[in-house]
Amino acid sequence: MDPVLVIQSLISGVMMGMVYALLGVGFSLTWGVMHVIHISHAVFGLLGAYFAYTLLTLYGVDPVVSAMVSTPLLFIVACAVYQVLIRPLTKAREMVVASMILTFGLAIILENLLVLVWKADPRLLTPSYASESWIIGPFYLQYPHLIGFALSLVGISSLYVFLKKTTTGMAVRAAWQNQEAARLYGVNLFRISMITFALAVSTAGAGGISLALLYSFEPHSHNLWLIYLFLVVIVGGVGNVIGTALAGLIIGVITGLSMAFLPYQWVNLITFGLLMVFLIFRPHGLFGEVG
Amino acid sequence: MLEIDGLTVAYGKMTALRDVSMAIRADDMVALLGGNGAGKSTLLNTISGLVQPEKGEIRWQGQSLRGLGPDIICSLGIIQVPEGRKLFPAMTVEENLLMGAYLPAARKVRRQSLDWVYSHMPHLAQRRRQRAGSLSGGEQQMVAIGRALMARPRLLMLDEPSLGLSPRASAEVFAIVSNLNREGMTTIIVSQEVQETLSITSYAYVMENGGIALHGPSAALREDPEIKKSYLGL
Repeated sequence: MDPVLVIQSLISGVMMGMVYALLGVGFSLTWGVMHVIHISHAVFGLLGAYFAYTLLTLYGVDPVVSAMVSTPLLFIVACAVYQVLIRPLTKAREMVVASMILTFGLAIILENLLVLVWKADPRLLTPSYASESWIIGPFYLQYPHLIGFALSLVGISSLYVFLKKTTTGMAVRAAWQNQEAARLYGVNLFRISMITFALAVSTAGAGGISLALLYSFEPHSHNLWLIYLFLVVIVGGVGNVIGTALAGLIIGVITGLSMAFLPYQWVNLITFGLLMVFLIFRPHGLFGEVG
Repeated sequence: MLEIDGLTVAYGKMTALRDVSMAIRADDMVALLGGNGAGKSTLLNTISGLVQPEKGEIRWQGQSLRGLGPDIICSLGIIQVPEGRKLFPAMTVEENLLMGAYLPAARKVRRQSLDWVYSHMPHLAQRRRQRAGSLSGGEQQMVAIGRALMARPRLLMLDEPSLGLSPRASAEVFAIVSNLNREGMTTIIVSQEVQETLSITSYAYVMENGGIALHGPSAALREDPEIKKSYLGL
C-alpha cells in the first residue's frame, strides 16, 4: 500500500466522518431523549442542502452563510412539526414504533416535494472555491471538504456546549436520564422535547449542507444517509454526543480507507457488515448509552 | 398546611387510592406506613401532580391543587424525593443538585442553596464532580435529598429514603431528616422501617388497600400492642 494514499484517504475519512457525526448527533438525541426514531431526519438534511444550492445558484450566497440562515429557519419549522405531528404521539402506547411509521410517511412526502421543486437530477454545491485545494507536501485538502468539516466541527461543539453548560441543555440531559425525576423538579417534557427535536432538525440541515459540499445529492439521497445515521448512532451509543462524534470519525475512516483500496461494491458491504457486528455484539455501542 | 379530602385515584379499572383524607400542619413530621401496594407512593405522586385524581381535593394553604402539573406544584414548594432515588446517573453530583433548582425562583438562589446543602452533607462537597451513578447507595440517597433541598421545599415528601441502605447509612438518613424537621421543615416520610419512623415522627397514617386504615400520634401507635400486631407487623 502506498503510504501517501493511506494518509490521503485517512484525511478524507476524517472529514467525511465529522459530517456524518453532525448529521447523526441530532438523530441520536431525538432517539435517546424522546424515544422518537426520526426517519425523516436526513430529509431535513437534504432540505438544508437544497436551500444552500438555491441560494448559491440564484444569488451566489456562500454555503456557510446559508447554514447560518437555515439553522434558525429549520428550528422554527421543526417546532411546528413537533407540535402538529410528534407531540400527539406521546399518547401512543409504543412511541418508538409509532414515531418510526409516522416519520417514514413524512420522509416520503418530503422526498416527493423535493422532486417537485428541484427535479430528480443530482446536484452539487459548487461555490467559487470548489476546485481549489490546500496542498501540504504530497497531500491535498479540497476547500469544500475543509469547509464542510469545519462547519460540522462547529455544529457539534456548539451542541455539546449547549448540553453541558446551559440550564436548558442540562434539562434535556436530565429528561433523557430519568423522565419522572425531571418532571418532579419542574421540567416540562413537552417543551424540552420540542427544543430537542428542533435542535436535531436544525443541525441536520447544517449537516446536509456540509455533506453536500463533499458529495452530489438528489431527492432520494436521504435513504443512504439514513443508513449511515443508524450506523453512527449504534456505534456511538444512543444519545451520546461525544460517542456519536467519535463513531462518525471511525466510520468515516473505515469508509475512506475501503473506498481507496477496495472495489466499490465492497464499501457498503463492509460498512453494513460492521452494523450487523455491532448489533449482535455491542448493541449499546462502543461508548454506552450514557455520557 | 396540606389538606387531603376524599381522594380517589384509579389506574384504568384498578383503584389505587380510595377516599383518602389527611391533614398536615406546618412544622409537622408525619409518617405514612403500610405494606407494599397499599397506595403510599401513589398518594405522594398524586400530591406531586404526576397522577391526576378521579375524585377528591388536595388543598395547599387553602388553595386547590386540582389540575395543576408537577412543575407548578414544584414551584409551590411541595417537593418529593422519589422512591429508588431516581437520580440522573450520568450527571455529576453537583449537576444533580443544580437540577433541583431548575425552576426560576429556586435558580436565583441556587448558589446559597448549594452551600446550605453542602453544609448539611459535607461529604457530597468532596464528591461534587463525580458521576452520581458511581456513588454508593447511601451517598446516592443523600444526593436525592440534597436535590430536593435545592428546590427550596416548604413540604418535603420522602418515599422510602432508607430502602436498600446499610443500617449505618439508613441511620444517617434518618438523622438528617429529623434534623431538617427540627429546623422547621414540614415533612412526610414513607418508610418500611416502622419503629425508626414512628420514633422520629409526631403523627402517623397507616394505609391498607388504597385507604387509610388508621391514624394517630406516633407514640400511641408504637405502644398499642393490637395495632403493632395487625398493621405494623411487629
